[in-house]
Amino acid sequence: MAIVNLQDVTYKYPLTEEPAIRNIHLQVEEGEFVAIVGPNGAGKSTLCYTLSGFIPHFFKGELNGTVEIAGVETQKSSLDEWVLNVGLAFQNPFNQISGSKFTVYEEIAFGLENIGVPRGEMKARVEAAMAMTAISDLADRSPYSLSGGQQQRVALTSILVMEPKVLVLDEPTSQMDPIGTREVFQVIKEMSARGMTVILVEHKIEWIAEFADRVIALHNGEILLEGTPGEVLTSPLLPERGFGISRYTSVARTASGQGLWPGDRRLPITLQEAVDGFARDRK
Amino acid sequence: MKDKLTFYIERESSLHRVNPLTKLVMVFAFIILAFFGPGFWLPSLLVVLGIIPLSFLGRVQREYFRTAGRLLLPVVGFLFLMQSVFHPDVGDSRVLLQVWVLNVTVEGVRFAYLTASRIFVMVSAFILFLLTTHPSELMSDLTRRGLSGTFAYVITATLQIIPQMQAKASTIIDAQRSRGLDTDGSFRKRVGALLPLTGPLVFGSLVEVEERAIAIEARAFTSKLEKTSLREIPDTKLDKAARWFFLLLIVLAFGSKLWPS
Amino acid sequence: MKLTESIKKDFNTMTWVLIPVAIAINVVIGQIVAILKLPVYLDSIGTVLVAAVAGPWAGALTGTLSNIIWGLAIDPNAFPWFPVALFIGFVAGWCAIGGLFKTWWKVVIAGFLIALTAAIVSTPIAVYLYGGITASGSSFITAYLLETGKGVVQAVFSTNFLVEPVDKIATALLAYAIIKGLSKRYLARFPRAENVS
Repeated sequence: MAIVNLQDVTYKYPLTEEPAIRNIHLQVEEGEFVAIVGPNGAGKSTLCYTLSGFIPHFFKGELNGTVEIAGVETQKSSLDEWVLNVGLAFQNPFNQISGSKFTVYEEIAFGLENIGVPRGEMKARVEAAMAMTAISDLADRSPYSLSGGQQQRVALTSILVMEPKVLVLDEPTSQMDPIGTREVFQVIKEMSARGMTVILVEHKIEWIAEFADRVIALHNGEILLEGTPGEVLTSPLLPERGFGISRYTSVARTASGQGLWPGDRRLPITLQEAVDGFARDRK
Repeated sequence: MKDKLTFYIERESSLHRVNPLTKLVMVFAFIILAFFGPGFWLPSLLVVLGIIPLSFLGRVQREYFRTAGRLLLPVVGFLFLMQSVFHPDVGDSRVLLQVWVLNVTVEGVRFAYLTASRIFVMVSAFILFLLTTHPSELMSDLTRRGLSGTFAYVITATLQIIPQMQAKASTIIDAQRSRGLDTDGSFRKRVGALLPLTGPLVFGSLVEVEERAIAIEARAFTSKLEKTSLREIPDTKLDKAARWFFLLLIVLAFGSKLWPS
Repeated sequence: MKLTESIKKDFNTMTWVLIPVAIAINVVIGQIVAILKLPVYLDSIGTVLVAAVAGPWAGALTGTLSNIIWGLAIDPNAFPWFPVALFIGFVAGWCAIGGLFKTWWKVVIAGFLIALTAAIVSTPIAVYLYGGITASGSSFITAYLLETGKGVVQAVFSTNFLVEPVDKIATALLAYAIIKGLSKRYLARFPRAENVS
């Protein structure tokens, strides 16, 4: 059975006229890695907040349809219970630091303190989580003294240590340089490999192509396309509707117009696919 | 403006190892004894025989004298001078010397000395406490004893945010100075400088509030489950005994005030 | 409304996260004002801000903690004055509930009420702890009044009453200006947003 189940979900923020997302149907299987793409204002963050319970519990407003995760319905639950099932991390790593802890180690323990995990188990879980995200060497540093990529890994670790069933990530690398992005994606990949359900909003298309099982294209608050990365990310609909697409896809599409890329071959998304594709024709 | 917002000095000492609550009760015992206890010399004795020896026990004597000197000498000195000079003249007290139209009386000097020594006890007892107690440790200990976790969050978060904002403020002040801001300019110019200096700082920090609220909620900040603490804080039988002893001193101090003499 | 309900109403997670920021605003603006050598303190703008959007109890807590933190981290001389800060927040919160944070001229009234409160609450502290003469510059006025034969309580209160209104009216107006600069959507997350809209 699907761990995430959204049925006909429509949501309107307070003081607004238009719904930010509408008629969303979404099922995610346990262990699946789903990526969400879309132009600005498509409702990506709204969808993330809906999945993570902040809609409706924090933002109020008007939520219709059913949002169900791990068999619990959001309207019938409270935020403090909901967050135990669904972890959320977002763009700005600085704002995700609790601000009340003096070291990274304490920072990661913050969530476990809040849910009353006994001290011995707490330490074991914090250390295991830090080892997994390769930040053990930062344990005694102040969370404020870290680079953006390090801070984001601390933020992710702080969520992972709580062992949520579903991890929701809203553009976690949008403020990262290439090195920070790589570090963060290594953590996400590791989580996914361990069987965690991951829902990721991301505009770095090449990374999605590499990791995601399924891609959902969101446009004007509605699902426009849904399918494998290969199907969705190379669809000609995306550039028409203002989505950012991979530069390799766009080059190959131009090449295809001039007969340099066979029309029956799927367009490439990553550099490697493009190289392989073009190289094949030269032989 | 410093980058760290605590007085705490990390060091191995028996005073550092004392339970934070015990130290806090001790501080209050000192203050209440100084203000309500009997005797003109009691506050001075508390400093000489209590607080200063304890600063050696905590191996923070140098920091203690430096901090107390920096924070207290100007205040206490000013108080002492002003009150010696301006203490209301009751008429029958002995005049020590005359300054302009003012009489410095024995009564005035005694009053000034007592006030100054009391303030000295109050502030320097806190300095000693802060030098030897990490704020996180104090908060963890108080939380374990029933202080709400959200309350502890506010204290430790504030200690972290202030230096951040001070750093940002310095950056903004430097930037504005290089654009010609003159902190010694005319009154109107200085008033005019207030908004460009504080505006970006205030709005920038307020905007962060929403995301931070979401981030800590995502980590079960409002969970109704009973909280635990990462830090293990020592609380020995000796600590408990010491707390009772200081409480007794507090009661005696108040008692001495009520006792008809 | 019952007392506990009234207190609970002030506090949601937004309030808890706002309070440290508000305290930092108190401290940092207080320091900038000192650098600019302006004849005011303006060190309770954050307190008044919290009181307006979250309520009197949150305001009182912000004021109290502001003083405690100032004492813990910057200057322990600040500790004994915490009741003044507490009442500034508390009274500002009730002013907001009473609708005094909706137009600028009403905010001036709120500032005056806050000043009056501060003058009243700081008098016994100055008299009993410091014998009337504190470590601030306005003590020269108190000393002058004492010399003219005024009683110590009267001298201290008169001094406070001369000094406070300018500072607290400016404080209230600046807090109001900040609120006006924030979006409705943002303000709506606070427990008593209706007080300022």
